[in-house]
Amino acid sequence: MSTTTIDARGSYCPGPLLELIAGLKLISIGDEIEIWSSDQGSVKDIPEWIAKVGHQMGETTEQDGYWSIRIIKSK
Amino acid sequence: MAAAPLFIVLASPEHEKVQLAGMMASVAAVSERPTQLFVSMAAILVFAKGLNAEARYRGGAFSAEMLKKGAPDALELLRQGKMLGDLTIIACSMALDIQEWTLADLEDGLFDEAGGLTKFMSDAEAGELIVL
Repeated sequence: MSTTTIDARGSYCPGPLLELIAGLKLISIGDEIEIWSSDQGSVKDIPEWIAKVGHQMGETTEQDGYWSIRIIKSK
Repeated sequence: MAAAPLFIVLASPEHEKVQLAGMMASVAAVSERPTQLFVSMAAILVFAKGLNAEARYRGGAFSAEMLKKGAPDALELLRQGKMLGDLTIIACSMALDIQEWTLADLEDGLFDEAGGLTKFMSDAEAGELIVL
């Protein structure tokens, strides 16, 4: 399993989600993306989208002024 | 159960409404929800080919702040929605006729076709309709 980091800090809604989706197209099933977002809506929006389309959420942690959200590609 | 298709009519050229249309259409399209955006009335002016952001996006109390803070470009959101999801964008044929424009006068890579309201409204019976 490999992890790709996407730095979407400074991007406003729905930029981080769209960057995540573009990133998911480039990785294999089982691989992980860690996305950094300073958009507070992403903390709820990304898990909602992940549940809707059927990927797997990993850990979400609050860092200094942004959130780190981990997603595992499942399909 | 599959989500009902989303149909958005964008009639206002106001930046805030164009931005919201871009946000809603792109997010719905990438969320496995087929989406159609019908651009009519003065909203068609926003999509004129070759404008810079200051000339393209006007109106609404948030417009200047969105430009200053670097909010995602509304047309770029629509391009991403088309690239990553199921988004169809239709230019109202009446609005084009009023302007004496064709699809060639609009920004490249966005519009799928010029179409009429009757066909769009008929399609929209299968889903939810939002007018901006």
